[in-house]
This record gives sequence, structure tokens and C-alpha cells, in this order.
Amino acid sequence: MKVEFANPFVQAAVQTFQKEIGVRLSRKDLKLKDSPVPSQAISIIIGVTGAVRGQVVLSLDENVAMAVTKAMLPGKLPVELKKLVNSAVSELANIITGQASILLAGDQGKIDITPPAIIMGPGLRMDFLDMQTICLTFLSEIGSLELNIALTEGQL
Amino acid sequence: MKRGLIVDDATVMRMRLRDILQTRYEVVGEAENGQKAVELYGNLKPDFVTMDITMAEMNGMDALKSLIAKFPDAKIVMVSAMGQKAMVFEALGQGARDFIIKPFEPDRVLMAIDRLFE
Repeated sequence: MKVEFANPFVQAAVQTFQKEIGVRLSRKDLKLKDSPVPSQAISIIIGVTGAVRGQVVLSLDENVAMAVTKAMLPGKLPVELKKLVNSAVSELANIITGQASILLAGDQGKIDITPPAIIMGPGLRMDFLDMQTICLTFLSEIGSLELNIALTEGQL
Repeated sequence: MKRGLIVDDATVMRMRLRDILQTRYEVVGEAENGQKAVELYGNLKPDFVTMDITMAEMNGMDALKSLIAKFPDAKIVMVSAMGQKAMVFEALGQGARDFIIKPFEPDRVLMAIDRLFE
């Protein structure tokens, strides 16, 4: 794991929040852990292959997820927004990972990502990759966000 | 009015693109993967397509190749977060007319579609 992988994700998360949500995101913390197990109620998993490989897990709580959905779809009623939360947070994770992969790939490299998978609810047990992970946390006016980055160069 | 087909696996993104495009164009269909996009294109014969890349079933790059092979004049604009240089060049080389990187401003989308018909 290279700590240099963190910066592209910080940039991507801040830029995506600014453009898509209209909210300023600031980095709170960076720590290392042994796997990308998320800590919040809703988590979106994206697989990464190519020049860089592994997994990215975005994690947030219901209130932040709802605020993200509302910002992405202004003018929609709360009852409609509820049905669209999964789609909105999945797209958010897709855009952040896509933006970060532009920075990681540089001029020559090619990185591909999988469609997002979403898991919800406390008490859910799942095994994640056993891989050193950078855990980034962010703060904003709509709440906090956690980004787990378990990536390596080349083959896993 | 020119008729468009929106291809994206995220409902939220299809709704946003529909809202943006409907100010000037008619949206005649939506597809959530490349396979469905190819089928719908044949039935609807739209004037333009917005195409995501990362999708299950068939991704947008394969759908682009398949559509251009069958309909060489298809006007396809990629709209994807996967804006790495290698991907942008590949898509344009395969016949995509433009490549919009998410996150995008609504004006960028309208400008790209307007240009198709100038």
C-alpha cells in the first residue's frame, strides 16, 4: 500500500462534493487499517483493476445519504428521494473513484472499475479483502464520510 | 425536435440527464446497460445517445463499438466518470463524438449535444 494513493481520492472526493452536492468537504483524518471494513450504516463497494488493483469502500450514514440524494435531484419530493438514495450514493462512489482513477492512471495507465455494489444496515457481517487500507474521513455541513482505499499496484 | 436515448446504470443520473436534455430535446428512451441500449437504438432510431461506460451486462465502450458497427452514423456522446486519457482516446477513436467527464455542468451536456447538429 502506498500512502500516495490517498491524495487522488482526497482531491476527487472534495471536487465531486463541490460540483455534485455543492458542499465543501474537508479532510478530518487518515489512518491505516488491515482491511477496508466500513464503519457507517451504508457502504458502497467498487472493485478496481488495471494499473492499480483492489477495492474502494465509501461509507456514510442515512442522513448524509439523504442529503446527497436531495442535492443531486433538486425539486424532487421526499417520498421520491427515499427510493433513489441507493442510486445516488452509488453514483457518488462511482464518480469519486472514477475521478481518482484519472489522477492515478496518469497519461499512459489504464484503470477500470466495477459497477458499485451497496450494503446496508448495522450488524451485517461481511468479509472484505485482507489488505492494508487507507481510511480517510471527511467532514462537511451535511455530515461525515468515510473512504476506505485498499489498493496496490499490479497483481493482487 | 431531435430525439435522444440516455444510457446509464444509475437511475439518478438518467433522471438528471433527462431534466437537462428535455429543455431542448425529446428523450425517447432510457437504458441501464449497453445491451439494452443496442436493442433500443434499433427500435427507436434516436438522433443521439448519451453513453455511460461502467455498467453491468454490456459496458458503454462495448455498446459504442457495437452501435457504430451497425449504425456508422450514430451520434454517441460518452458521459462517464472514467475520463482517463487512454479511455477518452479509445472512445473517440471508436467513433464517439464527444466525451463528458462526470461530474459535469448541465451546460457542458447541452453544448455537446447542440454541436452534434450544427
